[in-house]
Amino acid sequence: MSKFLQRSCRRSRVNFQRLRILFSSSSGFSSFLHKSWGNHSESHHVLTPSSWFWFASKYRHFSHSFPRETILVSTGSFAATELSTSDGLTVEGILANNWTILPENESDWKSHATALAQSIHVIKRRLQWKNLIVRCTLLSAELNKPDLWDDPVHAGKISREHGSLLGKMKEVNALEQELLEHIDMIKLAREEKDVELESDLLKALLNMRRNSKEKELEAMLSGEQDPCSCYIEVQAGAGGTESMDWAAMVMQMYKSWAQRRGYKVTVMDEMPGEIAGIKRATIKVDGEFAFGYAKAEIGVHRLVRISPFDSNKRRHTSFAAVAVIPILGNEASRVQINESDLRIERFRAGGAGGQHVNTTESAVRIIHIPTGVTATCQNERSQHQNKASAMAVLQSRLDQLEMARQAQFNAQHTQSLTDITWGNQIRSYVLHPYRMVKDVRTNYEVSDPDSVLNGDLDSFIFSYLSASLDKEEYDA
Amino acid sequence: MLKSCAVSRLCRPLCSSLSLSSPNSLCLKPQVPLFLRPPIYSTRLSDLRKWHDWAKSLASSIGSTFERLDNGPDSSHLCRELKWLMEDAVEDHSLLHQMGVESDRRVKTRADLEELYNLWKQRIEERRPFQYIVGCEHWRDLVLSVQEGVLIPRPETELIVDLVCDAVSKNEVLKGGIWADLGTGSGALAIGICKILGSGGRLIATDLSAAAVAVAAYNVQRYSLQDIIELREGSWFKPLDDVEGKLAGLVSNPPYIPSTDISGLQAEVSRHEPRLALDAGVDGMDALFHLCDGAVSFLKPGGFFAFETNGEKQCRALVDYMENNRSGSFCKLEIVPDFAGIQRFVTGYRRQAI
Repeated sequence: MSKFLQRSCRRSRVNFQRLRILFSSSSGFSSFLHKSWGNHSESHHVLTPSSWFWFASKYRHFSHSFPRETILVSTGSFAATELSTSDGLTVEGILANNWTILPENESDWKSHATALAQSIHVIKRRLQWKNLIVRCTLLSAELNKPDLWDDPVHAGKISREHGSLLGKMKEVNALEQELLEHIDMIKLAREEKDVELESDLLKALLNMRRNSKEKELEAMLSGEQDPCSCYIEVQAGAGGTESMDWAAMVMQMYKSWAQRRGYKVTVMDEMPGEIAGIKRATIKVDGEFAFGYAKAEIGVHRLVRISPFDSNKRRHTSFAAVAVIPILGNEASRVQINESDLRIERFRAGGAGGQHVNTTESAVRIIHIPTGVTATCQNERSQHQNKASAMAVLQSRLDQLEMARQAQFNAQHTQSLTDITWGNQIRSYVLHPYRMVKDVRTNYEVSDPDSVLNGDLDSFIFSYLSASLDKEEYDA
Repeated sequence: MLKSCAVSRLCRPLCSSLSLSSPNSLCLKPQVPLFLRPPIYSTRLSDLRKWHDWAKSLASSIGSTFERLDNGPDSSHLCRELKWLMEDAVEDHSLLHQMGVESDRRVKTRADLEELYNLWKQRIEERRPFQYIVGCEHWRDLVLSVQEGVLIPRPETELIVDLVCDAVSKNEVLKGGIWADLGTGSGALAIGICKILGSGGRLIATDLSAAAVAVAAYNVQRYSLQDIIELREGSWFKPLDDVEGKLAGLVSNPPYIPSTDISGLQAEVSRHEPRLALDAGVDGMDALFHLCDGAVSFLKPGGFFAFETNGEKQCRALVDYMENNRSGSFCKLEIVPDFAGIQRFVTGYRRQAI
């Protein structure tokens, strides 16, 4: 604790009390920051924690309290400066101290701070922090070009991306700053032997610690398409009824998983097997981050069990392929489809049609002739609706194709498409002779296949997502 | 014994409405489709499951028998229909997923279990069309009430609405004029077209069958289009005296099946759907020629028409008739195929006065 601070506290006992009142009436500091930095002259009178630091920073004792605009808007200067507490403790410094992380219910600020510092570290890693800063600087430079708006589509894209990256940086930055401010405050409160304030601050730290877990998850889903809804397609491998039954089990697993997460599930298309199961099916999963999570499931899923369809009770291995396609929300980024490029086919028993036939079969298949991409829908009750649904599926498939094409240019994440081949097994489900589900990509495994097949998939998804982020970082 | 008793009870409202279908009875009360009935019955999930399993095995036992017999539904079609019947009959769809698990729970339904047994028996044993079982047909983005005595709208006919949409977008003037749908049946075309015309449109729909007029009126009411669509009972152009030479558009899906073909049709059609809506004389062209003649005098110059036919042969015959017997009356005649590639529709315009 700096001598100046001690002096200034003694001098302004009244203001310190004022600070407590303000603190306890607000959920956190960051909201103060926005308010108080707007008007510097006022902040001399109303002492919020931040303005108080700002006041002090005039005397250059608080290295992390330079004006907020400098930190957040100009990424260049931001990258060069590291935030710290009044006595020079940084987030990296907290981690280096190796303080023990105790359970949440233990009121120990060092433990909370370390947990938070770890979260910040994880979030930064997941966001590929260094790349993010470089990219942001590049985009800023681009945005400053005078001829930028000659191409409004490009300009819009650049400014959207810049805004979104800046938003992410601001958020992490605010979290960091909030943590360091709290540490300063706690030290101060201890020195002042203000037990009540200290306990309030500890509670605030605890809240931050809890929220940070959610932020860690969100950081995992920082891809452009991650927030989208998606289609999940399951296709049975070779092997007849047993593998069709497996495909139906996999589809059921995703339906349950999606319902557990509160997503809306709609069956788009379903080709039932002759005896049991499905040959192929497509569901639509509506909800935020549906694609971000479900993309972890792309690939081939393998089942080993005694087949109930084998009268000799032999052990069978079957496969089902899973594809996940994002439904792009942004109209501008969607592929334009020419009506004349489409061939629309309808499955109906041959013959005269029209009044001759009364059938409830109104499946529609749409073929995009230039690419050969097709989409089928047969689950709606009118042909018109089947066509509309099939068009939506076709649109997303073409969007995905276009994205893959662009990604090849950018030499990034082409795996989503190349991975849907039979050689690419991602997970094994063994029901006999032992019971286990194991992800071959991450080696994550559980010994309770039933719960997994009932949709308890999150741990598999998270472990894969974080592992693939680590891999990306390593590759970079 | 039980079955016949239940069936007769079921059929009563239906039969009574049919027996009343003399032209002078305007107080016909159409049946409410299953999905709109109040969910006043309650059954245990396990009992519902028992019914479902029974119904499914009955459907599976059919295999491709009907398909071989008369191109009827196979078991996969029937299983899908069963799923839809469940959706229409059960109030809370989310419970359907739990049928195997929480069997002690009760579920609210819109028909009691005995009726559901009977309905499915009628579907399989009598080949009663699925749409009459549930009392509705999903057509385009509409759900239309249908019942015995009213033709079930076909998916092919959905395309006529698109043809009208094209015609109207090419010539906005047509939008504000009076349109007519002759032989409207359930009112499908009338309602579909009105959604395109918008609030400024006006359409007259006619049908000879009082049952059809009653059901069409019910559907029009359900889509709140009673201010735009006017229903008139009568044969083809007969109820349209007041709009002769004034129509901006005319559409029809008239009967077009040759009389001799009726008995060989799929059982759902030949045994259950109204012959009045299907049978059109020796070559199936009676109604189409009549519509063609009427179009000359009822359409205003520049007015658009679209008719559905039995296929390529009838399309050609109709175009020939228009070009030779009615030469100078029509222009821009076109034959348009349906999704299956069958030449299905004839469209064109009444020639402008010179």
